[in-house]
Amino acid sequence: MNREATADALGLHERASATPERAEPARKIALGSAPGWTEGKLGLRAQQEWFAAIISTAQDKPAPVDERSAARLIRASATLSSVERIDIYRRGYHARLIECLVDDYPVLEHALGEEAFEALCRRYIARHPSRAPSLNYFGRHMADFCRAEPQPEAGFLADLAALEWAIVLSIHAPTESAIGFEDLSRVPSERWPGARFRVNPSLEILHLGYPANAYLQAYRHGQPIAVPAARPTSVAVYRTGRSVWRLELEPTLVTLVESLANGATLEVGLTEVQASLSHEPEQEVAKKISHCFQHSVSSGLFSAILL
Amino acid sequence: MANRFKLPNLGIGLGLRTKHYSTILEQKPAVDWFEILSENYLRTKGRPLDFLDQIADHYPVVMHGVSLSIGSSDPLDREYLSELRALRDRTKARWVSDHLCWTGVSGKNTHDLLPMPYTEEALLHVVDRVRAVQDFLGAPLALENPSSYAEFAGDSMREWEFLGRLAELADCALLLDVNNVYVSSKNHGFDPLSYLNALPIDRVVQFHVAGHTDHGTHIIDSHIGPVIDSVWQLLAAAHQRSSGVPVLLEWDAEIPSFEETHAEALRAREFIGAAA
Repeated sequence: MNREATADALGLHERASATPERAEPARKIALGSAPGWTEGKLGLRAQQEWFAAIISTAQDKPAPVDERSAARLIRASATLSSVERIDIYRRGYHARLIECLVDDYPVLEHALGEEAFEALCRRYIARHPSRAPSLNYFGRHMADFCRAEPQPEAGFLADLAALEWAIVLSIHAPTESAIGFEDLSRVPSERWPGARFRVNPSLEILHLGYPANAYLQAYRHGQPIAVPAARPTSVAVYRTGRSVWRLELEPTLVTLVESLANGATLEVGLTEVQASLSHEPEQEVAKKISHCFQHSVSSGLFSAILL
Repeated sequence: MANRFKLPNLGIGLGLRTKHYSTILEQKPAVDWFEILSENYLRTKGRPLDFLDQIADHYPVVMHGVSLSIGSSDPLDREYLSELRALRDRTKARWVSDHLCWTGVSGKNTHDLLPMPYTEEALLHVVDRVRAVQDFLGAPLALENPSSYAEFAGDSMREWEFLGRLAELADCALLLDVNNVYVSSKNHGFDPLSYLNALPIDRVVQFHVAGHTDHGTHIIDSHIGPVIDSVWQLLAAAHQRSSGVPVLLEWDAEIPSFEETHAEALRAREFIGAAA
């Protein structure tokens, strides 16, 4: 139950003004035919709608343009045809968004392999085009997207994506410092039962059907890994200062933290933990409850005591 | 105060990149200023802002955006502008810049700097929008000439004419990227010096330099590798027309160590003399 830091250096990469380049199969843009409305006068709106429709077309789909109509939109240069010039933008559009997803989902990319991951990204981009000025949340649909993919490992891949997305979210969540045992020692004993705890605002508890955290951990440690068999796990992902943490939670800790996160007092939270241990010997229960609470504090899951 | 907006000559700066956060925060190297990529610090409440706050406390910063989409036929995004203004106030950014381009239409954002049609219709459209943005920000907006790989068949003027007229009509500032001038001059076949000489230099508040990738048939503005000599020479020519404009190096692909990146930026001294 040791927590593990996510060695993601200092954060996500930037979305720069440079034109990204990505090695792409030699396949050129697939030409289709221009929409009928492009035959009319091309004002600013029409030019932009047409240009955007062409460059955002997926690589394996015919773009709404052909050689003749392309020349009505974009003039050829001394070295490139109109279509080839437009195609530079089509490649750049997809490369930038794929880069963003690679940045957010490095372990998912490892699990799938580069080629399959890139193909997944292209389908994702077609399904979920960006509508926001920032790319910080562009990848937010990936877990659901993986789950809906028609492939045997979809459940595992979805769990892995959910875990990696929780890491991204923790980076963007507000920063609050964690309380420690010295903070607890200042609470008068009579106030303990009614004490409430504010959980770290970056905390997300994931209930997964596969041991995705173990897979991610093995990847980080450079260990050989295979797609694991299904096994339910609960993982807390949160950040203290610059460090993002992943902590596999035992059921008692899940019960306590979720109870406190929902606003329960410590007394209520611990009572719920006790109830979940009703099958255990009495002396073990007290020990486990004490350990559970201490572990939640030492792991930095709480940012304030509310008396 | 060398430009008509009385914006300061900050010297030689660097584009702030996450790879260099540790070095900057731990060693506090002597850098004149940093340019931040605005969108990386929007829609976040967490660690990116923690780093930025520490850096903005210690260094002058300027904001450089990629999603204003000033040329789009979609309405301006007021929520985005509010966020931009809040970030400007938070970081005390000396000015805010973006590109003469559009990034999307019909509500979608391609996150790419797409080329503008250079027509009278587009010019009047962008003039109105620049004025609206400047009113909203309460400060001049600096617009950068983009690199481009395509020209619209219906263009009625060249980019430098469009940009110069836009700057005068909207009363905005310019960010002159001499690497972009070089890239576009090769892609479209024009004389880069004619471009530089046509711009109202007293509106230029910042220069950009960067590396690029030459594919033979065209050049991509990849911001990779060191600045080539021809681009440095363009910087020298542009700088000579000015009375002192800050210079910034952008390096975005295969980014080297902080020391190497900064050393490349400081090469600007060889081309702009003692002015920086």
